[in-house]
Amino acid sequence: MSKTSQETISGCIMSSKYPSTDYIMPGHVACPGCGAVIAMKFALQALGPKTILVIPACCWAVVAGVHPQTSLKMPVLHTAFATSGAAASGVRAALDMKGDTETTVVAWAGDGGTFDIGFQSLSGACERNENFLYVCYDNEAYMNTGVQRSSATPYGAQTTTTPKNAWKSHRKKNIIDAMAAHRIPYAATVNIAYPDDLMRKFRKAKEIQGTRFIHAYASCPTGWRIPSDKAVAISRLAVQTNLFPLYEVENGTDYTINYQGNRPVEEYLKIQGRFKHLTENDHAEIQEMVNEDWRILNGKAS
Amino acid sequence: MNQSIQTQSPNNVSLLISQSRTNTLGNKTGTWRFVRPKYQEKTAACSNACPLGIDIAMVEMFASRKDYQSALNTILMENPFPAICGRVCFHPCESACNRQFLDQSVGIHQIERFVGNWGLKNTQQHIQYPEFNGAKIGIIGAGPAGLSVAYFARRLGYRCDIFEKSDKPGGLLMSGIPSYRLPDRILMDELQRLNDDGIQLKYKQSISMDQLETFKQHYDALFLCCGDANSILLKIVGENFAIDGLNLLRQVRSQEMPTIEGTVAVIGGGNTAIDVARSLLRMGANPIIVYRRTRKEMPAHPHEIDAALDEGVVLKECLSPIELQKETNHLQISLQVMKAGRKSNEGRQTYIPDGNRRETMQVNHVVSAIGAEMDMMWRNDQWELSMSHCQMKRIADIPVFWCGDMTISDKTVTHALASGKQAVIALDVLRNHGHDEIKNACHQCQVGNGPAISFDIYKQGKRKERNNSEIANFERLNTAYFPNIPAVQVNKISQEACLNSFDEVISGFDESQMIEEASRCFNCGICNDCDTCRIFCPEMAIQWDQNNRHILMDYCKGCGICIEECPRDAMNLEVEP
Amino acid sequence: MKEVLEGSHAVSEAVRLARTKVISAYPITPQTHIVEALSEYCANGSMDAKFICVESEHSAMASCIGAASAGVRTFTASSSHGLALMHELLHWAAGARLPIVMAEVNRALGPGWNIWMDQSDSLSQRDTGWIQLYCETAQEVLDTTLQAYRLAEIVNLPVMVVLDAFFLSHTYEPVDIPDQASVDRFLPSFVPRITLDQQNPNAIGQMAPPAFYMEMRHSIQMAMQSVLEHFIDVEREFETVFGRTYGPITPFACDDAESIFVMAGTSASTCRQAVKTLRDKGHKVGVIKLKMFRPFPYQHIRKCLEQTKKVIVLDRNCSFGPGGIFAQELRAAMYASEQHPQIFSYISGLGGRDVTVDHFLEIFDRTEKADHPENESVWIGLNP
Repeated sequence: MSKTSQETISGCIMSSKYPSTDYIMPGHVACPGCGAVIAMKFALQALGPKTILVIPACCWAVVAGVHPQTSLKMPVLHTAFATSGAAASGVRAALDMKGDTETTVVAWAGDGGTFDIGFQSLSGACERNENFLYVCYDNEAYMNTGVQRSSATPYGAQTTTTPKNAWKSHRKKNIIDAMAAHRIPYAATVNIAYPDDLMRKFRKAKEIQGTRFIHAYASCPTGWRIPSDKAVAISRLAVQTNLFPLYEVENGTDYTINYQGNRPVEEYLKIQGRFKHLTENDHAEIQEMVNEDWRILNGKAS
Repeated sequence: MNQSIQTQSPNNVSLLISQSRTNTLGNKTGTWRFVRPKYQEKTAACSNACPLGIDIAMVEMFASRKDYQSALNTILMENPFPAICGRVCFHPCESACNRQFLDQSVGIHQIERFVGNWGLKNTQQHIQYPEFNGAKIGIIGAGPAGLSVAYFARRLGYRCDIFEKSDKPGGLLMSGIPSYRLPDRILMDELQRLNDDGIQLKYKQSISMDQLETFKQHYDALFLCCGDANSILLKIVGENFAIDGLNLLRQVRSQEMPTIEGTVAVIGGGNTAIDVARSLLRMGANPIIVYRRTRKEMPAHPHEIDAALDEGVVLKECLSPIELQKETNHLQISLQVMKAGRKSNEGRQTYIPDGNRRETMQVNHVVSAIGAEMDMMWRNDQWELSMSHCQMKRIADIPVFWCGDMTISDKTVTHALASGKQAVIALDVLRNHGHDEIKNACHQCQVGNGPAISFDIYKQGKRKERNNSEIANFERLNTAYFPNIPAVQVNKISQEACLNSFDEVISGFDESQMIEEASRCFNCGICNDCDTCRIFCPEMAIQWDQNNRHILMDYCKGCGICIEECPRDAMNLEVEP
Repeated sequence: MKEVLEGSHAVSEAVRLARTKVISAYPITPQTHIVEALSEYCANGSMDAKFICVESEHSAMASCIGAASAGVRTFTASSSHGLALMHELLHWAAGARLPIVMAEVNRALGPGWNIWMDQSDSLSQRDTGWIQLYCETAQEVLDTTLQAYRLAEIVNLPVMVVLDAFFLSHTYEPVDIPDQASVDRFLPSFVPRITLDQQNPNAIGQMAPPAFYMEMRHSIQMAMQSVLEHFIDVEREFETVFGRTYGPITPFACDDAESIFVMAGTSASTCRQAVKTLRDKGHKVGVIKLKMFRPFPYQHIRKCLEQTKKVIVLDRNCSFGPGGIFAQELRAAMYASEQHPQIFSYISGLGGRDVTVDHFLEIFDRTEKADHPENESVWIGLNP
C-alpha cells in the first residue's frame, strides 16, 4: 500500500533542530558554493560521529582532504572508483566480526561511482542486502574529472562530452527505480534545499537494517554554469518543478511522495548555463517528459 | 590529535602510507574570495512607513517568542503609548508590510495592542527615567503631542511642566476619540507611564501667547502643543443650527450624553465625522454622512469608514451644504451636487459644483465636522527651524517649538507623537551641539528614507548600525522559507452589541492568536537568529557561540549562499577590499 | 592429522585454521572448490567468519580491502581472468599495505577460453607489489597459506599463494593438517597496524600529491626488500612448531651440477624425476624449485647458480616479446653476479598441456648440444 505523505514540506527550516556540531572542517578545497558539501554537512549532522565513510574516486575524494590532511572528523576509507558497494560491504563485515553494531557504514559516492562505473558493485551489495547506507550525491556529471557526462546527466544538458551541438539526448537513469527493483528496505531522494526532509530521511535510514540508498541532489555551480550563490535556490527549483521529486520507497514497493511541485521546468532550465542552448520547443519537450515521469511516479504512490 | 602518518613495525618494516589525521584548518581558503559577506541589518518597509519609526520587525520577533518585555521596550523606545496606538493608529505599517505580496499583511496593529495591554498589566516594568540634566521645559497642552514631548524629554533628563487648560489629560485622546475605539481605562492606565517626579501636570491652566515671555525665567525651552482647538465653520446661512462635532464628542466622552434622535446629517469626511456618526448610532440616532467628494477622497482612515458603513451609517457622496433652514420639526439642508473636476499636477482629483444641480435633505439634526484649526494667537510665519513635524522660533531668547496638529498636515495621534519626539531631539541637539547640527543629527537618526526619526538611534542604540539607504523590500527577501498562511482574523463584538453600547468594538487577539500572527512576520531586514546562513554555509565558516554569530573570514570563499538564502535581507555581499 | 586432501582443500583448511574473519570471493574454475569449502565452513559454524558472495572478482578484492582496512584477517581466491579483473585493486591492496592473503590458481588467459594450467596470470601481476609464493604439493599449499598470513602481517604486504590449476588444485595427496592449538601458537591474533580508527579518526588512502607519493612507493620497496629475511624467520618459526620448511628456493642435486633446471610449481616434481634419470646416466644436473618469486630471492639464486655453467629455465608462461618470464628474471638476477652462467629459456606446458619427463630429457639434450642460448625462448612440445 502506498500513500502520499501528509506532511507538507515548504523548504522552511526549523533551525532549532540543527545541531551546532559540524563534522566537516573549514579549509577544505571544494569549489565555492558546492552543493555536495552542503549535502555531506547535513548528512553527518543527522548521522552523528559513529560513522565510517567509504569514499570512491569523485569530487569528495579530493574534498575529504589531500594527504596529509583530512577534512572530516570521522574515519574515512578512500577506495577505487568502481568499488564503493563492495568496499563498504567489506568494512561492514569486518565491523560485524569485531562485534561493533553501533557504527554506521556509509558509502558516499558521486553519480559516476553510483550510476555508471560503480553500478555493478552497488547492485551486488543491494541484492545481498548488505547492511550499510549508500549515499549518491548527484551533481549530474563526472565533475571531478572536468564535467563529462554520466548516466545521471539530465536530458538536454551540455557537458564536455556532450557539447552544445550534441547535447545529452538520453534521459537521466532512474536510480531509485533501479534500487527499488532490488527490494532493498529503503530508498529515498533528498535535496539540499530541503534540509528538514533530508535529515529526517537520514535519521530514518540510520535505524534500518539492510541496504539503504539515498539519492541526494547536490547542485554544482561550477559544472552547471550558475553563480555560486544559487546553489541552494536551484536545488529548490528542481523540487518545485517536479524535476527531482522528493519521495521514499520502502521494500521496493511502497512509494511515498513527500512534496508536490507546481512550477514549470522552464524556470529551472533557463537560469543554468548548461541548458542555455535549449529552445522553447526543447523546454516543452522536457516539460512533457517531466509530466510523464511525474504521472508514473504518482501511479506508483497510489 | 595524534598526527602520526608513519608507523614502524616491531621488526622495523617501513610503513609509510597515505593516511592522515591533520585537519584542513591550515588552508586559509578565505584567500580565494573576491566578494565577502557582511551582516547588515536594514530598515523594514513597515518601519519605513511608521511615523514613529518603531522597530516593528523586532517587536514582532520578540512578541512571537513571548518575550513581551523586550517587545514592549522596543516599542517604548519610539512610542510611549502602544496600548493607545494599538487601538487608534491608522497603521500605515500594514499597508507597507511586505507580507502582503505573499499572502496578507501581518496584523501589526493588533500585535501592538496586545503588547501594549501586556504593558498595562505588568506595571512593575515602569520606565527607569534617568537623573535630571539640569534643564527644565514647559509644555502647553497635554494632548498626544504634549505628552510625547514630556516622555522623550524626561527620558533625556529634562524636568517637564505641562500646562493643560482642561481638567483632564489626553487632549483628543480623552475628548475626541470615542470609547468604543479607546476605552477610558486604557487611556488612564497608559498615562501612568508618565508618572514621575520629573513630569508635573498642571490642570486648568490656560496659557496665551503673550504669557510666553514670562516663562523664560523658569524654562529653558517651551513646546506649544495646543492642537487645533477651533472647529472650522461651515460658513453657510443657518450655520448656527448645526451642532459642533468636536463638542459633541467631548460631551459624549464626559458622560454628558445629549439626547439626539432621529435622522442626523453629519457634514464632513474626516475621522471626526466618522466618530460622530458612529457615536450617534450608539445614541440611538440615524446618522447620514454628507461629504463633498467621494469615499475615495475622504481623509478618514479607510478601515474606520468601513467600520461605520458596516454598522449601518449611510454615506452620501458629492454633496456640499449651502444652506440650513429650520422648519417646525426638522432642519432642511440645501446641498450643491459636486462632480469630479480636473486632476491637479500631483494627480489629486478636484471636485467642482455640478452646474446648478441641487438636492435637499430633511433631517432632525445637523452636525458639523469639517475640520479644526489652531487658535489664531498661535499663528506664526517666521521660523528659525522648520522640520517635517515641528517648527521653532525663539521668543525672548528661549526656543519655542510648535508641535502636533498645530504644525503637521497628517493630523493623527501617531503623527502627533512623532512630532513631540522630533521636537525634543531637535532641542537636545540644539542645547548640546548648536543649531547648525540639528538637521544633520536628525538625519543620522532617520529611519529608512521616511521622515521618522529614532530615539533609539539618537541614544546610540544598536539600531544605529542599520543601513538606512537600503530598505528591505519584498524583492530583496527570500520567501521560499514562508508557506502561505492567511492572517488571523480580528475578533469583534457582535453587530447588535456595537449598536447598543459604547463598548470597545474590537476585542483584540488572545495570546495564541497573537503569537500565530506575529510569527507570520518576515522580520524584514533584521537578523532573528534563524541561522539559515550558518545552516547552509558549505565552508562551516559561520559560527555561533555565546550569542555571537560571526564569519570566519579565514575560510569564507565568498560563495554568497548566505546572502541569497537569508530570508529577511539581513546580509550584504561586498567587494573584497 | 594426516588426511588425503584435494589441493584446493589444503587452502581452505589453512584459511579455517588461520581464523580468517572475512572471506569475499567470486567463483572461477579452478578455484571453485576452495571457496565452496569455505562457504560450507562459514555456514556450518566450523569457521567464525563472514562469507561475502560478491558479484565479481573486482568486488572481491575491494571487499577484502574494505575488511582489512577495518582491521580483520581476510581471504580471497581467484584465477586467470578473475585475477586480471582484480588488477587495479591488486595495486591498491599493496599500496594500502594491507595483509590480505589470496590463493591464486594458475590458469590460462583467453581467448580462447582455457581453464587449465598456465602461469601467465599470476606472473602478469608481478609489478603490483604482492608477495608471490609458488607451491608444488598440497602440503606446501597448506603450510604456505599459514605462513602467508604470518608474513603478510609482519611486512604489511599482501601475499599470493600460487598453485597449479588441476595438477595441484584438483589432485589428492596426503596432507598433515595441523591442530588448531598449534596454528594459534604459530599465528597469533591479527593486530592491525593500519586500521580505521574511531577513537582517533583517520583518513586512509587519500590523494597523495607529488611531494608525498614517492616516499610512499619507496616504503613499499623497502618493505618488499625486507620480505626475504622475514620469510626465513617465519619459516624457522614454522619449522619449530610443525617440523617442516621449504626455503625461498628448494635446490635438488645442485652442489656439483653443471646444468641446473629452474622452474616453479608442480613441474618441479616431474623435473626431479628427469634429473634422477639423467644423474643415473652420469650427467651433472640439478633442479631448483623456485618458491618465492616476489620478491625475487637474488641471494639464494645467485649462490646456487654461480658455480654452474648452464641454467635451464622452464616457463609455463609467456610475456609476448621477451618470452619466458622466469628466464627474464633470472637473467636480471645473474647479471649482477660476477659469474654469468648461460641461461637457456624454454617455454612449454601452456594452457594445461602436459610437461613430461620426456620433455625435460629433450630439453636437457638440446641444451647440452647448444654452445649458447637462442635469442628467443625455445618453445617445446608445439604441434606442427
